[in-house]
Amino acid sequence: MANLNIDSVKERTFDAIVIGSGMSGGWAAKEFTDKGLKTLILERGRDVKHIKDYPTTNMYPWEFEHRGQLPAAIQDANPIVNRCYAFGESAAHFFVKDAEHPYIQDKPFDWIRGYQVGGKSLLWARQTQRWSDFDFEGPARDGFAVDWPIRYKDIAPWYSYVEKFAGISGNRDGIAELPDGEFLPAFPLNTVEEYFRDHVKSKYKNRHVISARCAHLSTPNQIHLDQGRVQCQRRTICERGCPFGGYFSANATTIPWALKSGHATLRPFSVVESIIYDDKLGKATGVRVIDTNTKEAIDYYAKVIFVNAAALNTNLILLNSKSHRFPNGLGNDSGVLGKYVAFHNYSAHIGAEYDGAKEWTTDGRNPAGGGYIPRFRNVYKQETDFLRGYASGFSAYRFPQRSWDGVGGSLKENLANKELGPWHVGSHMMGETIPKESNFVSLDDKQKDAWGVPLLKMNIDYDDNDEKMKKDYVEQLTEMFTSAGFTNIKAGTDKRAPGLDIHEMGGARMGNDPKTSILNKWNQVHSVKNVFVTDGASMTSTSCQNPSLTYMAFTARAADYAMSEMKKGNLS
Amino acid sequence: MDRRTVIKNLALIIGGAALLPACSQDKAKSKVALKNIDISADQEQLIGNISETVIPKTTTPGAKDLMLHLFVLKMIDDCYRKQEQEAFVTGIGQFNDVVLKQYGKTFNQLDAKTREAFLLDIEKEAKIYSEKTSATGSKKIPTGASSVISKYPGELQAFYFTVKNQTINGYTNSKYFMTNIVVYELVPGRYNARFPYKQKQAV
Repeated sequence: MANLNIDSVKERTFDAIVIGSGMSGGWAAKEFTDKGLKTLILERGRDVKHIKDYPTTNMYPWEFEHRGQLPAAIQDANPIVNRCYAFGESAAHFFVKDAEHPYIQDKPFDWIRGYQVGGKSLLWARQTQRWSDFDFEGPARDGFAVDWPIRYKDIAPWYSYVEKFAGISGNRDGIAELPDGEFLPAFPLNTVEEYFRDHVKSKYKNRHVISARCAHLSTPNQIHLDQGRVQCQRRTICERGCPFGGYFSANATTIPWALKSGHATLRPFSVVESIIYDDKLGKATGVRVIDTNTKEAIDYYAKVIFVNAAALNTNLILLNSKSHRFPNGLGNDSGVLGKYVAFHNYSAHIGAEYDGAKEWTTDGRNPAGGGYIPRFRNVYKQETDFLRGYASGFSAYRFPQRSWDGVGGSLKENLANKELGPWHVGSHMMGETIPKESNFVSLDDKQKDAWGVPLLKMNIDYDDNDEKMKKDYVEQLTEMFTSAGFTNIKAGTDKRAPGLDIHEMGGARMGNDPKTSILNKWNQVHSVKNVFVTDGASMTSTSCQNPSLTYMAFTARAADYAMSEMKKGNLS
Repeated sequence: MDRRTVIKNLALIIGGAALLPACSQDKAKSKVALKNIDISADQEQLIGNISETVIPKTTTPGAKDLMLHLFVLKMIDDCYRKQEQEAFVTGIGQFNDVVLKQYGKTFNQLDAKTREAFLLDIEKEAKIYSEKTSATGSKKIPTGASSVISKYPGELQAFYFTVKNQTINGYTNSKYFMTNIVVYELVPGRYNARFPYKQKQAV
């Protein structure tokens, strides 16, 4: 390709540009290229090719130099990302190191990031639940944020669409607040998880314990084999990247699919500085990129631009896209851009023992992680002094009793002991937080990163509602555990900063009214019709379900709409 | 870190250990290349003998067969903070002093039975201490400053328990243990949620 045209505008012009190659960006790329659109996928980090670039995926525990632990120098140099549970010797290479990508914490915020092709889809915990009308109607009913411009019926077919391709395992549980999907067989609950499920069912109205729904190919369908993926091998070392494509990641699924079409151009090492808005044409014409290797600024052009940079970086790009028409950030006529950021609250957990079912254990490993308790608080009516509610994880497990006491032959025998101890049970809280204007991100007017992009400033905090909800979680789960006959119950809360749950959302929220929102019901910027945001930034409220599946569904739906609008000539 | 680098590093440790003579001269350096802590060959031998007392060779391999003392040193050198490393080195000195005072010999000169008895006494004292302190509401196990309550100074205990815990960490995560004792499977390909289990009857 070494010719004089290499820098021509034509070569830098595409039908569509997708900013970001992770959970949602991968879907935009897949949808556009499926329909033959010439698509540029921009990724700020390096390329990570499926299988080839998973360096630790086939390592045995003893092959890790420090048996999984990171050296103190690496931990100390990365106090933020080091708080993430998955930042260890086997997956550290997929996490952003603190010093390389600074940001400003006006209030403490643990921003956990994965800058590479595939983004955080290599690192997620793969839990996938649909949101329901209890979520989409929530802000209107409970009087916070703004009304969602859509309802469950609008997104339901798109959930089905992405579930079939991604492969989601689960049971059809028939719970209104957690709609069923297009499921592959679920990973079953174990004996004690089933016991707790039955107990909760008999004792509580509208409380359920179900098999966790997850993005794993329990039994693949043809569409998954067509992607080059095979059955999940139950290894549960997913954060290293899965050579089987056993779980959904952009690397194993949407990105190679898009590239196979021949219509995609993947450009790693490309930090998006801003979206280019043409005042005369009244639309966005392209994207300005800084090549991270050469520091060269390059403009790319397209008819339609999808912003999928992950919630807070999407806010950053929009805020930094200033023009005569939009001096405060692209599409920011309302002034709400960067505001109403919310997250999930994972700061409480509980553990106990169960003195029963001794004749049962498990064999192999459960990639779903166990059970899931859908939100049961304030679902059908407001019943507490806090708004919204929480979902909870629930799992039971046994492990060998190994005393570390003493030395010598007896110690060796203890360590080799295969006698199992009692069942342990555990749960953690996944709480909804309320988007507020006072929780916002903004750009610093002086400090810039290595590529000349302003640093993002975090002003995000918990509130009284979160504290009350946390207290209720501990009380309710303690009561449920006690009533199930669990013993030695220990609940704990921690003082983690927001962000560590890695579910930041909002800032460019959807809404009916352009005066109070950035995006319309199609995830389309109200005032810039050819720019769409379909990642976490677009969320009007946070629900307590995991958000990734919803990002995927929004993206496929918005891409379909964008293509139909292009066909009608409405975006040119 | 990729697989090749890990293997290369392991080869360096093991290869280095094999090439150097097993000397016990004063001032001689440790066999394993350390970046942060300064350990003499004598001290390395001490750590080796503590590791071997914790996990001795029986009908199955012991700490020295599995090079666990070198793993212990690597972990302390790489994964511990400066303060902990300093306490560790201080602890070696205290350990040597107490042994010399008690037995008139170095730990390395003691027979296996006496070595074991000494280590068990440290554990016994630590247990008494932790029970005492938990009764008063303090959960702190002495790791830094010298403890006045226990018979053994804090750094001595911190040193011993660090060696012990990392020896066990290295042992239970060793290839030997994970292929012969617990059998780690990289690809089990299965999840049986309801699997029969027969607990052995307590005698």
